[in-house]
Amino acid sequence: MSEVIDKEKEQLKLKRMRLIRSILPIVGLVLVFILFNILTDGKLMDRLPLVMSQVYVIMIASMGVFFIMTMGGLDFSQGSIIGLSAIVVCVLSEYSIPLAILGGIVTGAAIGAVNGYFYVNRKIKSFIVTICTMFLFRGLIKYLTTDAPVAGSMELIELDSTALKVACTALVVAIGFVFFVFTKFGTHLKAIGAGEKAAMFSGIRTDRLKFYVYVLSGAITGFAAFIMAVKNGSVTSSGGNQLETQILITLVLGGMPISGGAMARFGNFIVGSLLFVILNSGLNMIGFSTQLMQLIEGIVFLIFVAIFADRKAIHVIK
Amino acid sequence: MSEVRLKVRNMTKHFGVNRALNNVSFDINKGEVHALIGENGSGKSTMTNMLTGIYPMESGTFTLDGEDLHPKNQVDANNHGVSIIVQELGTLSGLTVAENIFLGHEDRFITYGFRNTVAMNAEANRLLEEYGFTHIKAADLVDNYNFEDRKLIEIVKATYFNPKIVVIDETTTALSQEGREELYKHMNRIRAQGNTVIFISHDLPEILDKSDTITILRDGEYITTVKSKDVSEDDLKKLMVGREVTGDYYRSDYGEKVSDEVVLSVKDVSVPGIIHNVTFDLHKGEILGFGGLSESGMHEIGKAIFGASYDREGSVTLADGTQINDIPTAIKHSIAYTSKDRDNESIVINQSIRDNIALPSLNKLSNNFGILSWPAIKKFAIDFAKEMSVKMVNTDQFVSELSGGNKQKVVLARWIGKGSDIVVLDSPTRGIDIKVKQDIYQLMNRMRKEGKSIIMISEELMELIGMCDRIIIMKDGAIKGDLPRSKDLNENSLISMMV
Repeated sequence: MSEVIDKEKEQLKLKRMRLIRSILPIVGLVLVFILFNILTDGKLMDRLPLVMSQVYVIMIASMGVFFIMTMGGLDFSQGSIIGLSAIVVCVLSEYSIPLAILGGIVTGAAIGAVNGYFYVNRKIKSFIVTICTMFLFRGLIKYLTTDAPVAGSMELIELDSTALKVACTALVVAIGFVFFVFTKFGTHLKAIGAGEKAAMFSGIRTDRLKFYVYVLSGAITGFAAFIMAVKNGSVTSSGGNQLETQILITLVLGGMPISGGAMARFGNFIVGSLLFVILNSGLNMIGFSTQLMQLIEGIVFLIFVAIFADRKAIHVIK
Repeated sequence: MSEVRLKVRNMTKHFGVNRALNNVSFDINKGEVHALIGENGSGKSTMTNMLTGIYPMESGTFTLDGEDLHPKNQVDANNHGVSIIVQELGTLSGLTVAENIFLGHEDRFITYGFRNTVAMNAEANRLLEEYGFTHIKAADLVDNYNFEDRKLIEIVKATYFNPKIVVIDETTTALSQEGREELYKHMNRIRAQGNTVIFISHDLPEILDKSDTITILRDGEYITTVKSKDVSEDDLKKLMVGREVTGDYYRSDYGEKVSDEVVLSVKDVSVPGIIHNVTFDLHKGEILGFGGLSESGMHEIGKAIFGASYDREGSVTLADGTQINDIPTAIKHSIAYTSKDRDNESIVINQSIRDNIALPSLNKLSNNFGILSWPAIKKFAIDFAKEMSVKMVNTDQFVSELSGGNKQKVVLARWIGKGSDIVVLDSPTRGIDIKVKQDIYQLMNRMRKEGKSIIMISEELMELIGMCDRIIIMKDGAIKGDLPRSKDLNENSLISMMV
């Protein structure tokens, strides 16, 4: 009898752990928001629209990486994907805006396909592949912007409005939500993250899916590049720099398990991107220098990884 | 009455919340082969692993020849005169035979920090010769030797220093008849020297034949200790399970005719280096068994049928002409597969019972637009988990928290839910206790009667003989024999074909 009670206790403990994992990011978001409002005498609240304008790009791009991380992969090439895609968007915007959007998406998808090819077909760990492509395409961006930043057309710049950015972000997130939660896509991704071989033996075409998820993630970031181009109007050699680390911090802050799998929740990247942006803006408003901000964010990142890393599954990172 | 060698007192051990041993006390004498039996999870390996320093002790005492024994690790246990031969491979690849034999005891060959390899090899060769294993050379890498020879090396490693107690943990299952005879010889030698063997095996006839005394454990509790000559196999089964094992353990029918209808034909299937030109037909309502040594290639046959083999040649064809070349096609055409490597290949271990059961049936559980219905998925999982009587809190529970038998039930629940007609079971009862085994056998019998076809690949010859309409024996990657169901089949006739 005592054994049954022990089992139930263990089950309860596990449930509590899961609850903490799912609640902590939201509680963190509220606390950080209140804290910075107090520290800045309500300035954060006043400048909320400005703060939120930083959220769109990171939220869209982190959705793609969320899919990748759910299946246990990583992607460090996001910054270069968005930079190069944004250049394509800017160049094509001279001809037509729909063409520019499409160009950005195709560029992102193409880089994603390169990642996916080396990861899936050549069986190289994803973080190594994507670190390589990060350097490779960053080099290309620097080459293309050697003389001057690549500027978008007037038409592109005039598109900049909060309504458009909110609408685009909401649309992408909504589509992603339906696919992740209400089709087998999400369940299959989680299964791959939780046990790739068993997923394959359950009838999932794991290699094909892994490849397409990298392409998809590239395409999504390619779309985010359009939003970035609209917002900034031009791309410099450092365009999109460090987006990959920002995305990683975002996901971890949102409670995403580093090794992916069944515990991944769609809300992870939404809460995470809000938390990240508020943390960033808040620190900025208090008057921290960029260097000091990086230090603090690094510490927060470490603490969250320590909380959310599933040590039993950590070796699964592919 | 002979002298007591080891006193076990109030031994208790937990793994997390699971209690593996509960207040176990008994004595083991000098100069005897003392068998430890019980179902899986009864605590026998836990006990011996603590005795040999593999697991740390929790509470309770071991008293060896009047002295308190509290081994910190395996080498420490060795130094106190306790050694173990384990179930799986106990030798380390990449080391020489001599390095393996003296692992942890290299000190005797070390002077001023340098190891005298020549002296070590000479000593190892002398020992190998003394044991009669002259074909094994001390300076060779163990990798050059097959499984059987590596077991012989382990025998030397565990016994050369005349330990007071040698634990032999389910070693015989992996050995051929010759290897077993060799092991028995050394067990007798150890006993004759007045030392003790603790013998763990699932093979009850072997236990009765080779041991003097038998201690039975059940669910971590001590049940009793008996003299081998006073008990029968049925007595032991009863003591192990705690109730009468009914006659319907395996199938009881003989001479039933199997349908002529072929549901799956395997033709000239080869997987380079593993199986060569395997051809056979599977009939409707048939249980077809595959037996052989672990390396005979029989496990690959299951994968080949399921489309999971890398580099497969030849054809696997269904009755309607469909070729099976990959896993999704196999599943779509009603083929199910449970792997020997349950935790890695059969189930997604870090996922819920619900998702595991529903995973292959997601198409069935979504509408025409591919939108999943979560209430339907939940109901589906609960229904089939209940049908298989999976012991669980609810279907949200992670599979990793279940016992081996319950994991296997989840695997079977998923394929029954999928409605598979051809079921390939690789080692379906591996590491599963008698009660769940019986459930699985009954399920197989029911499925057979429903006209489903089953391929059972197993290293347990008794279950092949007990369950199959036909047994194909594999050796060195090829079919060696094809035996129809018969009362006259026995383990020895199968073994002689296997080795």
